[in-house]
Parts: sequence; structure tokens; C-alpha cells
Amino acid sequence: MDRNSPPPVKAKPRLTAVDYLLYAIVAIFIFYAIYRVNDVLVYTWNWSKVFGFLVKFDQETQSWVSNLLLQGLWTTLRLAIWATVFATIIGIVMGYWRTCENLTLRIISRCYVELIRNMPPVVFIFIFYFFVSSQIFPALGIEDIDSEGAFASSGVFHFMFGDPRLFSNFLAGMICLSLFEGAYITEIVRAGIQSTARGQWEAARAIGLSHFNVLRDIIIPQAIRKILPPLAGQFITLIKDSAIISLISIQELTFVATEVAATTTRVFETWILVGFMYFVLCYSFALLFAHLERRAKRSLQ
Amino acid sequence: MIISKTFKTLILAAILLLSANASADLLGDIQKRGTLKIGMSTFVPWAMRDKDGNLIGFEIDVATKVAEDMGVKVEFVPTAWSGIIPALIAKKFDLIIGGMSITPQRNLTVNFTVPYAHSGQQMAASTKLASGFDSRDDFNSSSVTIACRRGATPCQAAKDLFPKATVLRFDDDAQAFQEVVNGNAHAMISSAPKPRFWSDAYPTKIFLPFGNENLTRGDEAFAMRKGDHDAMNFFSNWITINTSSGWIKGRHDYWFQDQSAWKDMVSQ
Repeated sequence: MDRNSPPPVKAKPRLTAVDYLLYAIVAIFIFYAIYRVNDVLVYTWNWSKVFGFLVKFDQETQSWVSNLLLQGLWTTLRLAIWATVFATIIGIVMGYWRTCENLTLRIISRCYVELIRNMPPVVFIFIFYFFVSSQIFPALGIEDIDSEGAFASSGVFHFMFGDPRLFSNFLAGMICLSLFEGAYITEIVRAGIQSTARGQWEAARAIGLSHFNVLRDIIIPQAIRKILPPLAGQFITLIKDSAIISLISIQELTFVATEVAATTTRVFETWILVGFMYFVLCYSFALLFAHLERRAKRSLQ
Repeated sequence: MIISKTFKTLILAAILLLSANASADLLGDIQKRGTLKIGMSTFVPWAMRDKDGNLIGFEIDVATKVAEDMGVKVEFVPTAWSGIIPALIAKKFDLIIGGMSITPQRNLTVNFTVPYAHSGQQMAASTKLASGFDSRDDFNSSSVTIACRRGATPCQAAKDLFPKATVLRFDDDAQAFQEVVNGNAHAMISSAPKPRFWSDAYPTKIFLPFGNENLTRGDEAFAMRKGDHDAMNFFSNWITINTSSGWIKGRHDYWFQDQSAWKDMVSQ
């Protein structure tokens, strides 16, 4: 520094007095809420009962194995992953039909999307489970799956689908979720395809590529890159929507939570713990996807 | 339940129409399959989870013995109570052994065996709001709030016995009970012996205004799909002979008298 340069500017603090005031207000609010809740709510908290349902000590194998709540979590995860896979397939097909030139395909896909999106998920699941699956599944022979059979009782089956005896329920729940979320993914795919510039189409056709080639080599790769972020968000939404499946008695986390809450009568502890489990699950995936997105952006540059 | 009653009846009617040609040989199907599938719902002490996550309870014992006597294995299908009858009709399981009370409305859609247990509705009242209440007229007034579990006989009993009172419906007994403990409702009605268990747990906040006397007497039976007389005959007779031999009463007293016998099995 010399005499002609301006005086050094004092570094601005990150947190000003206004920030501290805001923190104080929020803290007061939180403590007051906790105090009021404890005062008004007559409840003896007992967390150990509920934690006991997370893991249990199995006498036979002399190790800690997962108990009801963790098993419910795995079922939720399985449901979410399988439903996302099928919903994406449905979404890509329907999304393409929404944008193609054939009028019939456009009508079919539009009907599908509007029907699902304008119906609450609970109603759709009831209709599907009691009405459709009870007629179709026996006809397809899914109810008679031999739960003692070689494939069904293998570890691979259990890892992928869970308990073989609950398979038809699991399948019904999975199809429900896929159909339901497929409608939203259809719209995401459609937006991805349509946002790929019109000019790409025309330029590709101008250099002589066939309709199918344009789609396969130029449009779809660009569209896929665009739809991956909203698709990741849809996966997280699906994990949360899977809680509705508890109404059709699939043993996923919410259903198991109702059983634990009823048995232990520890209503608040159970639901707070389950809410926390859902939060951990969803937030982990959110962080993972954000990380992948950043890596993808870097590689593009 | 978010679904209205009319909507549910419509769905039920549609399912019944479509399954009009249901096979009327339940016993044969069970023997062929080698497993008896029972639909039930978690409801202390009829059926609940022990510390290891296994199902225990009065219903579980009854169902296990039925399967033993039939020579087949038993499989439990835990089902949400509000959808248990549609699930039975959709053939998700063979029988409901779930402490389901016989009511004419339910009997129009499912068949019931003879009763195997007689529970009743009991009332647990708040010491803060309802102290000194000891007769039915005390509770039958417009300033009284009664909580109950939705979709089941408690709410019906609340409406019938205390028409002037305000009835609050909840999805769950525990929630209805919490209302009373918090002092937001004067009383709650639930199947015996739950009110007694809760008044033991919170003696300063909850009391039983009518002592051990039940408000109503219910008849609980097995529920099955319509159209099969042979299965009805089998299960009704099973209940009759096990009632005469005293086995059912023995099991009932074990689970319902007080919680001491099985307290340690459950996460209490």
C-alpha cells in the first residue's frame, strides 16, 4: 500500500445485529412452543419402547437384525425404486406419444395424464387395489405364487421384492405407484422433448436423417440430460407418496408405524421417529442427486 | 377415513357384482393351499406386536388353534381396519378373525359365524372435566364432548347412547384417548378392556365412570365371504365346541383380565 491508494476497507461481518435479532426471535418462538406443548400435552415420553422396534437382538444368530421399523423402511425403499423404474418407462413412452404427430397416440396419452393428475392419489389407489387388482391378479396367477418354491425363497428374491408371501400386495402397490407417478413423469419428458430447440429437428432433417434417427441420436440424448434433475425430484416425491400405500395394507414404513403406535401406545414417539426416518431417506437422496448434478455440469464444461 | 361412506358402498357393490361367481368351497381351497389366511388389524389386546415384531394376542391364539385343528398352517395378513371388509371380499384372505362385532350393516355384505367373544364398549372419562359424573344422563348433554375411534362400533354407541353430546371421531383409539388425557374431551368410548388399561396407566387423569360395567354388549365373530354354507358350518361349530370346553374363555381371560400375564412380552 502506498499513499495514493485508497484506505483499506474494513471487512464486513457476515452476521449483523439484525441477524442476531432474528435468531433470538426464532429461538424464543421455538422454546415457547416446546414449553407450551409440554405444559398442555399430558404425556409421558418414553423413547426406548419405540427404539426397540428399530433393531432387535436375534438369539439364534447372536447378532443385531432389523426389526419392524427398519423392515418397513426397506420395503418403502424397494417400492420407491421399482415404482420409479416402471414409472420412468411409462413416462418416456407416454411422453413421446404426447409429442408425436399421430393424433390417436396424443389422445391416449393426454387422457392418461389428465385422468391421473386430476384425481387424488388415495382415491386412485383404492379403485385400483380393490377393483382392478382383485380381478386381474388371480387371472394372471400371481396369487398362487409358490412361496416355498426355489426362486421365491431365495435370498435374491427377498432382496429385490421382500417377503414372497406378500408379493401380490407388493406388486399391486408398485403398479399403483408407477401408474400414478408415470403421469407426472410424462409431463416432465414432454417438457424435455419440447424444450429441445425446434431448430435441431429442422437441421437434422435437412441433412437427411430419418425421423427415427433424429429422435434416437439427437433429440432423446439432449432431452434426457434435461429431464434428469426433475426426474430425481420425482423419485423423492415418490418416496413420500409411498406412504399412501399403507392404506392398502402393504407393510411399508407408514403401515408398520401405525402397528407399532397402536401396540406401544407411544403415538408421538413413533411418528416423530418415522418422520425423521423419511427425512433422512429423502434428504440423503437429495444430497446425492445434487452431487451428481454438479459432477454432470462440470463434465459438460 | 377420507373416503365417504357412499363411495365405499359403491365400490363394495361393484366388487360384489363382479365377484358374483365366487367359488363356494372355502374349505377345499384352504386344504389345497395348505394355509389358512387370516385378516386382522392391530388392536390391543386382540392382536399386537411383541418386542421382536411377532404377532401375539387373543385373536392370534384363536386363529392358530383353528388352523391346527384344520391341519393347515396359519398366515396373518395385517390389514388396515377401514379396508378390511373390502379386502376380504377381494379375496386377499379367507377369514377375518379380528374382534369384529356383528352388525346388520356388515352382515349384508359378509357372513358371520356364531359369536366367540362378547366384548362391550367401555367409557373412560377425564377427572378434570367429568369429575362427579356417574350416570348416563350426566354425559348426555350438549356441553359434553365424547371421543371415539372412527368407523367402528364405539362411535355408533356414542351416537346412540348420548345423542346430545358432541362426538369427535379419530382414526385411532390412542388419538381419541389422548384427547381425553389432554382435557379436550370429557370422555372416550372404546372396546373393553382398553379403557380399563388406560385408567390403570393414568390413574389421576382418567377414571371409569361406570366402574367395570360395559355400556353395550357386543358379539364378536369370524367374518367370511357370502355363499359358502359348509365353511360357515365348520367355523361356527369350531367356536361352539371350543366355547363349551372352556378353551376360548381361558384364552380370553389370559389376555383381557389385566395386563400382568403378558406385559413383559410387549414393549411396555
